[in-house]
Amino acid sequence: MEIIGKISKGTNMDQIYISKQRDGMPIGEYVLIKPITIDEKIKIEEKKKQKYYFYGVKEIEPIKLKIIKEIFNVISKINDKIDNVIITGSFLDEGFKFNDIDILIMSNSNIDHSIINNRLKNLTGVKTHLIILTNKELLAGISTDPLYQSMLSKCVSMRRIIYNIDNKVYRINYKLLDLQLLKSKIVLDSFDYLNGAEVYYYLYNLISIYLFLKNKRITKSEVENKIKNLFGDKDKIKSKIIDKKEFLREYKVIYHELFSVIMDNIRKENGSKQK
Amino acid sequence: MVQNRNKFIGLLIGNISNAIVHEILEKAVSSKPEISIKYKKEIRNSFEIAKIYRSKINPVNKSLPEKDVQDIKNRIKRIVTNELKLRISKGYKGISLDLIDITIDKKLKELKLEIKCL
Repeated sequence: MEIIGKISKGTNMDQIYISKQRDGMPIGEYVLIKPITIDEKIKIEEKKKQKYYFYGVKEIEPIKLKIIKEIFNVISKINDKIDNVIITGSFLDEGFKFNDIDILIMSNSNIDHSIINNRLKNLTGVKTHLIILTNKELLAGISTDPLYQSMLSKCVSMRRIIYNIDNKVYRINYKLLDLQLLKSKIVLDSFDYLNGAEVYYYLYNLISIYLFLKNKRITKSEVENKIKNLFGDKDKIKSKIIDKKEFLREYKVIYHELFSVIMDNIRKENGSKQK
Repeated sequence: MVQNRNKFIGLLIGNISNAIVHEILEKAVSSKPEISIKYKKEIRNSFEIAKIYRSKINPVNKSLPEKDVQDIKNRIKRIVTNELKLRISKGYKGISLDLIDITIDKKLKELKLEIKCL
């Protein structure tokens, strides 16, 4: 058994940290420490570079993984001032029913959308949707907008995503939530004209906002579980094998409840701004 | 079939109205650029759906009959105005009702529902 470690600086003695989860090398045993060769060092650096972080992605098709690697390579070559690249959206869902690839680029420097978009389109042949933002903006987005939380609940990133939401600093942007909720209104207006997949999409949006306003975590499984509890089986909704009257009654109750909460808070926000 | 035509017109109206309300409300939201980028995508999606339904209503490449256009316009205006006024009555500030007519005309032209001759 061999473990590769890095020497770190200590107060009295320098040290090498090794994982507690290891086969062998128990406490008290003598070990031999020796420097690694340059070739081995290069291999480790390469491995480190190729290590990506998967959040909420249990399985992914090899071809998609190849595309993700290429995207990371291309973007990091275009600009070396990029803090992180995050791939999210329907591209990570099982199968190939995606419209485009949603890419979040975290950087404090100015980045040209068009250069990256063109390079990626030439490379993958798929339309990409870039959102370039700073760490601070991402943090604000996560705290104020359920879409961000939903996006980051299932994503692949070039580097580890670390965020700590401070509720005292960031406040929910209720006007943006109103815009989000508005999308789901179409189910109440044109249920008969929508297919099952569309109904499910708008229901998913509605429940994401519902969980967000209740300070719950917004992950795909959390939203799906809530939908199951309130509206029943996902496949039945997608196939529209549902009791329309009952479904719309429940949907309407939640929609109006959320609308009231959002409007109350917009009024409060306006009031506090006037003071 | 007349039934299908009415169905598509209904869907078209729902989606255009949503896109218009969205566009007007977006102007009332003081947000950072990246959020606008994201929401522009949402509007495009909603408007893209409207385009699909427009392509199913004849005549596809010409303006619809004046009577139909007026009816569609009135229905959209009613939905959009109701949605915006509802918000204003709840204390939402910064919504410009003046944008309704201009935005409706713009969207109808984009969808080739109304082509005005100069």
